[in-house]
Amino acid sequence: MMNYFPDEVLEHVFDFVTSHRDRNAVSLVCKLWYRVERFSRQRVFIGNCYAISPERLIDRFPGVKALTLKGKPHFADFNLVPQDWGGYVQPWIEALARSRIGLEELRLKRMVVSDESLDVLSRSFTNFKSLVLVSCEGFTTDGLEAIAANCRFLRELDLQENEIEEKKNLWLGCFPDSCTSLVSLNFACLKEINLVALERLVARNPNLKSLKLNRAVPLEALQRILMRAPQLVDLGTGSFVLDRDSDDSETYRKLRGTILKCRSIRNLSGFLEVAPRCLPAIYPICLNLTYLNLSYAAGIHGSELIKLIRLCGKLQRLWILDYIGDKGLEIVASTCKDLQELRVFPSDPFGAGHAAVTETGLVAISSGCPKLNSLLYFCQQMTNAALIAVAKNCPNFIRFRLCILDPTKPDPVTMQPLDEGFGAIVQSSKRLRRLSLSGLLTDRVFLYIGMYAEQLEMLSIAFAGESDKGMLYVLNGCKKLRKLEIRDSPFGDMALLRDVGKYETMRSLWMSSCDVTLGGCKTLAKQMPRLNVEIINENDQMEFAHEDSQKVEKMYLYRTLVGPRKDAPEFVWTLV
Amino acid sequence: MLLLGTLLMGITSEQHSSASSIDSSSDPSAAAATSSSSFCAPMQSNNSARFDLSTELRLGLSISSSYYNDLFTTPTTTTRVQPLSWPPIRSILRSARLDKALDQKQASLFIKIYMEGIPIGRKLNLFAQDGYDSLMTTIAHMFLTTILCADRVHSDKYHVLTYEDKEGDWMMVGDVPCEMFLNNVKRLKITRADRC
Repeated sequence: MMNYFPDEVLEHVFDFVTSHRDRNAVSLVCKLWYRVERFSRQRVFIGNCYAISPERLIDRFPGVKALTLKGKPHFADFNLVPQDWGGYVQPWIEALARSRIGLEELRLKRMVVSDESLDVLSRSFTNFKSLVLVSCEGFTTDGLEAIAANCRFLRELDLQENEIEEKKNLWLGCFPDSCTSLVSLNFACLKEINLVALERLVARNPNLKSLKLNRAVPLEALQRILMRAPQLVDLGTGSFVLDRDSDDSETYRKLRGTILKCRSIRNLSGFLEVAPRCLPAIYPICLNLTYLNLSYAAGIHGSELIKLIRLCGKLQRLWILDYIGDKGLEIVASTCKDLQELRVFPSDPFGAGHAAVTETGLVAISSGCPKLNSLLYFCQQMTNAALIAVAKNCPNFIRFRLCILDPTKPDPVTMQPLDEGFGAIVQSSKRLRRLSLSGLLTDRVFLYIGMYAEQLEMLSIAFAGESDKGMLYVLNGCKKLRKLEIRDSPFGDMALLRDVGKYETMRSLWMSSCDVTLGGCKTLAKQMPRLNVEIINENDQMEFAHEDSQKVEKMYLYRTLVGPRKDAPEFVWTLV
Repeated sequence: MLLLGTLLMGITSEQHSSASSIDSSSDPSAAAATSSSSFCAPMQSNNSARFDLSTELRLGLSISSSYYNDLFTTPTTTTRVQPLSWPPIRSILRSARLDKALDQKQASLFIKIYMEGIPIGRKLNLFAQDGYDSLMTTIAHMFLTTILCADRVHSDKYHVLTYEDKEGDWMMVGDVPCEMFLNNVKRLKITRADRC
């Protein structure tokens, strides 16, 4: 029936299909739909920049306006991927610039971005509106100058946790006076900022909704900025301290007054530096907050932290340090009834574990917050009984990531592995998409995951399992698995090679410090030409090279349509 | 008048925190990473190697289970130092938190405190106290006496806490909000209740 409609009608219908997956599905129906879909697609998501080339992207989707690209594997966040591994955005920007693509939005994660790339980006796309860089590196404030100076209609500049070399502190001043279109600005990962330029920028951008400052912005400046931008929805404070010696009661009073006018703030973060005595200034906005991120606020703990939490009855997302303790989590459980996402980070990852949280806190949260669907929890210990209780109280997990700081710690009460506990979680949360395991775990946990985790897309395994069977349970059972990352677990060639076709249904597989050998990886590479099987070799010891029986320290494989990448450094061997 | 009623919040000293952590898809706000060279682990050797956690053991992380003992071997080759990879938190945030611990700007406020009749005074870190009541308790322990509010009793058995403010006047502790008190206090004195 749909074949009798003109293309424009199909296109109009497809406009309502927005998610990437749905559009991908639409394009597979028939050649006509493929054609109409590809010319009308504006937003493209590429989860692995080496799976496809920029030329093929441009060829298939000439109308692309918004592009998301991801580079390095996830374990790069934890120093497992050496510097210069890859993930360069330069070829993408150059190719897009050469074509007639009207790029408006670019979102990059874990990529290497150079100043030159940013310069080319800023000058090649007249309607460029939004740049979001997450966990990227390779650029300096010179690159930011180019973006500020040349992107005339910039709405969003969001720098999340990047490593940026700060040269001169001028870039913010490079936004021309005519720049009045900013909606979102985040420079929290920088150390310095030009305060005068910042205040002027905020003053002339009345549509600013999201502003995340860095620690170089003192409280006095925050007060003046908030005066100019009471419409903010999303605020990240910089430094939240008053100099003891200055006349601070006046500043504090003004701040309190100004904050009272900021009735729209729903998301609050920052407090990179904080003097707790200034906190009451923000109490009036707490009751409206839906997202509170105190994961950098080392200065807020004890009774201060509790007082703050008690005021935030509408929180849906809370990110916090484990200073909160189990008792504090009980208070969260009784206060934040709408809580959906909780992240508890370790304040002292290598310490003796005094101030931390345990299974008690998690059970309290699960009983008080049944809407919980996303968890990241760093803790000292966990028990099976607690996990079983959590599974019963919260059957809606989409993301469940538990990190016991001692990675092979058993249930301290029963001294058993945590297989049953995680088993309960996967059995009860039928919509679970992401899971990270820790603690003492045998092959049994993987049996449960293979049996029950039908929607699982991403699995992170560390120091777990006993034999190849563990990995096989997962590869056989999890039909929707897309990303599997494994470290320090006894899985070898037998598991790797049992079902080589599986890896073409996945985005990537990472295995480090496991039992796979060079020979096994070579076999896989030979059987699967559409996979890039990369071995990362940091040893310069040539005498260890080329022995097939030798265990591979780090292997990263991913499906690709464009063969081995040409930008691999010498320590990365792509097997063929 | 009770001291607690006027209390809005207490003060705690800067924590010696080592690192924070955020997973990879989190919100930003850390400072740019400094080198994480303070966390080193020996590199895995290529031969039957396992990640050597002995560095982590030195740093306090204890692996209790012997189950994995055979997996951990000392690298035999000369090793290159690598930053730590466990626990799985981003190094940018580890180092941001270290910077934090070193930044002692607001860490302490030590003031002198004398008790009437005792020539040798003590020093007390006011920022380490969590509000007025914590302050009173600490002082009571230090000087082995009971500190009371002034209008409760006038007797030579008890003591009250007074402070000298920026203007040089001696005032009763507890009348103003804690934050204002902390801004103005220069030193403390414990005087006998019947003197007030």
